[in-house]
Amino acid sequence: MAEEKEEKGSFWDAFKGVLYGMAGHDMTRFALKTRGSMEHLFILITMGDLLGVPILPPYYSLRLLPYVVPQISTWKRRMLRERDLTDALA
Amino acid sequence: MNAILVLILAALALIVGYGWYARRIDRNIIQPDPKKATPAKMYMDGVDFIPANRNVLFGYQFKSIAALGPILGPIIAVQWGWLPALLWILLGTFFIGWVQDYSSIIMGVREEGQTFGALSYRFISPRARGILLAFLYVYLLMIMGAFGIQVGFNLLTNPAVPLGVIIVTLAGLLAGQMTYKWKQDIILTTVVTVVVALIGIWLGTLPAVKNIFGAIYGLQVVEGKTISPTLFLQVTRAGFIGSLLVAIFCYLGAVLPIWRWAQPINYVAFWIVLLGVLGGILGLLIGHPGMGDFPAVTSFMAAAGPLWPMLFVTIACGAISGWHSLVGTSGTARQLEKETDALPVGGGAMFLEMIFATIAFLTATVAFGSFKGYQDAGGPAAPAAVFSKGLSAFLNQWGLDRVFGQGFGTAYGAVFLTLMALTIMHLCVRFMRVASAEALGDRFPALRNVHVGSIVALVLTLFLIWIVPFLQIWGVFGAANQLMASLALLLITLWLMSRAKNYQWTFWPFVFMLVTTVGALLWSAYSALFVKLPKATNWQGIVAQVTIGVLALLLVVLAVILVVDGVGAMRRYRMEVAKAASQ
Repeated sequence: MAEEKEEKGSFWDAFKGVLYGMAGHDMTRFALKTRGSMEHLFILITMGDLLGVPILPPYYSLRLLPYVVPQISTWKRRMLRERDLTDALA
Repeated sequence: MNAILVLILAALALIVGYGWYARRIDRNIIQPDPKKATPAKMYMDGVDFIPANRNVLFGYQFKSIAALGPILGPIIAVQWGWLPALLWILLGTFFIGWVQDYSSIIMGVREEGQTFGALSYRFISPRARGILLAFLYVYLLMIMGAFGIQVGFNLLTNPAVPLGVIIVTLAGLLAGQMTYKWKQDIILTTVVTVVVALIGIWLGTLPAVKNIFGAIYGLQVVEGKTISPTLFLQVTRAGFIGSLLVAIFCYLGAVLPIWRWAQPINYVAFWIVLLGVLGGILGLLIGHPGMGDFPAVTSFMAAAGPLWPMLFVTIACGAISGWHSLVGTSGTARQLEKETDALPVGGGAMFLEMIFATIAFLTATVAFGSFKGYQDAGGPAAPAAVFSKGLSAFLNQWGLDRVFGQGFGTAYGAVFLTLMALTIMHLCVRFMRVASAEALGDRFPALRNVHVGSIVALVLTLFLIWIVPFLQIWGVFGAANQLMASLALLLITLWLMSRAKNYQWTFWPFVFMLVTTVGALLWSAYSALFVKLPKATNWQGIVAQVTIGVLALLLVVLAVILVVDGVGAMRRYRMEVAKAASQ
């Protein structure tokens, strides 16, 4: 009985997952992309020194550094990744 | 042939194709490892590379690949009879369609989530990436022309449709406002906006509203037929207004922030489409009509050309489509949590699209009960009108007409299809403006401007809508799409060769698709330049035929370059494998 319930639950979860994938997953991805772009801009402004673009005086960059550190690895990954037009498709 | 029998055949193709053939390839050749780290985990950046649940990805993949192609293609293709169209949908998916979708995803996963463009550059040649972009631009332009004709000339010209489309658009804007600005619950937002949209579609069918749009379109009844006055060329006032509405919608979709226009409208439209599909399937199962006198095969030569090769480019997305490989590599492969998810997501979504195309096929073949009924509903030149009337017949099986009136089903079908087309078209214009800015922005800086790039794309679109006949645009659109599929299959074959794996299951589909597509393009060019052009009596006909002929020849040249580079790459990989084996 418990197994049957679990199976029903998993079917319901799968159905919800598929429906969400069709209706809302794209919206979530766009929202993440927008947030990602804003974060990149923020890091570029604050930590531009890392790329040789000193926008903010190093004193303030150093003050902000602890807050930015967790995002630096993903930021570098995205900034250094090769891109072309087909990236814009999905 | 009864509708239920057709659905059983499709289910059999799914069970054998997915359950036996696809699983066998997956298990014996690709050998996915669920413990291997995928790019979504290795390069997780929280944006492009992010692991997603298998069910969510399945829904995402299906939504990304199932657009207007699998609906209109089969309806156009039944002009050769129901049998060739049905066989191509089922066998095309069985042997080629899922192969391309699944292997594009698995190749993306194994090659660190690289895009299709980057993979073409690496495995075929540096110029293959440029060729891909040229295919892509022509493909998008043809989508705009083909869908634009159907929406502008066949759907929005029905006076019961425009108000519904306008209100659904406004409901979409409301959904955006409620979600992003007022921070409302998504379920409340969905219920409110979908109900508003449904009321809007119903309001559009009221006689008073139809009379208003009839007056705007200048509709008159002459000898029992409702016609709109011709303004210029062969464009009627209704068609002119309809095509301008399309252009305005797409312009706003291309220049406004995506959260404000494209995304929430797509969201509301999704529910309208989903309700329509579910209602249609229910009606189909209740009524399970037969095909009546619909012929199995009409003749080898039909209005769109000879059965081979034109049928195989007419039905693209329902059997195989190059678009899927682009979505698979750029989107899905970067979100796959486990390698073993590639088959249910890529292969499974393609087989579901086959079922979707089969249902569209049934709207043309069984909804009217005869071949004459199909032709009277619009025939191959007006597949959107055929679909909306066919869907209406299915919806009326369970009594929709008794609740909302006789015309509601057709209006719903027309709004359903208009939304499906428009929600793709505005994204196409968005992509076209990015592509033109990238490719020509250095030479023509004005193209970098968002408005200029969008307007250029829309002027080209209106040119196609007003000048070129639909069936010819559809032929070139299908060919550009299938050439991208050939490119994808070539790429996958080269990838398999480079990994010393069995590549026969992708190589022969590649050969078939390439020969068929080049054949279709050569026939389109010949037909336009040597058959229709000499018969053209006005400048519109001359411009239309020259445009189609030149575009088809351009695609042939690009395909030849691709084959030359591909054969060179194949030789290279064969030598490398032989060398590695001898050492």
